[in-house]
Amino acid sequence: MSYNVKEEGNIATVYLNGEIDMDVTESAKEVILPLVEAKKEVHLNLKDVQYMDSSGISVLIESHQKALEVGTTVKLKEISKSVLKVIMMAKLEQVLNLD
Amino acid sequence: MDISESKDFPVHTKSLREVRDFAREIFDQSPIFNNQKDELVLAIAEAAQNIVKHAYKDISNTKDIMQIKISFKDNELKIGFYDKGKPVNQENIKHRKLDDIKPGGLGTFFIQQIMDEVVFKEATGWHNHLVLTKNFNQQ
Repeated sequence: MSYNVKEEGNIATVYLNGEIDMDVTESAKEVILPLVEAKKEVHLNLKDVQYMDSSGISVLIESHQKALEVGTTVKLKEISKSVLKVIMMAKLEQVLNLD
Repeated sequence: MDISESKDFPVHTKSLREVRDFAREIFDQSPIFNNQKDELVLAIAEAAQNIVKHAYKDISNTKDIMQIKISFKDNELKIGFYDKGKPVNQENIKHRKLDDIKPGGLGTFFIQQIMDEVVFKEATGWHNHLVLTKNFNQQ
């Protein structure tokens, strides 16, 4: 997994790239959670994420819940087909903010 | 087309990518898997992850291997997982309720959604032997 972050005003867009599994979830959290804790509106761009497993889904849930806790939002942008399939299998399409 | 392939992997999160590559290569061998290839790879990766995460919980730097056997015969796909981690009690394996939104507990749910049968069996020389089965007769 690789990533880059672009910040504009209070919006931080995290572009994630590659495959997100248990091996990289800590790295993903280290990037996303501090932005959420800083009360940024975080946009996770998932266009280039080719694979995500239950560990990756956990990162999305944790980020979403942390955002609710601190009073901001995490939006999922340009979700790849394979990631969307997993989100839907977990029945989270009504829970997470899908754009 | 019959398939029977087996591979050993170090018990480590870094093996998960290799596990997925192994599964993808096998499912590329026949068009029968085309429509469900991603889901099958996910089920296999989740089961391998469960070995690392649960059977080897609190055991770091193990030199143990886990073995994955994939076979396809008479339209039945069988995937066997063998490990020497902590013995698993199948009765304790439960996925979380989907309306209880919290991180974790989804891997087992995915496996059960994707596969037709998920059972633990005995295997000489191993502590755990998980078998996932999917029938392709009606596909």
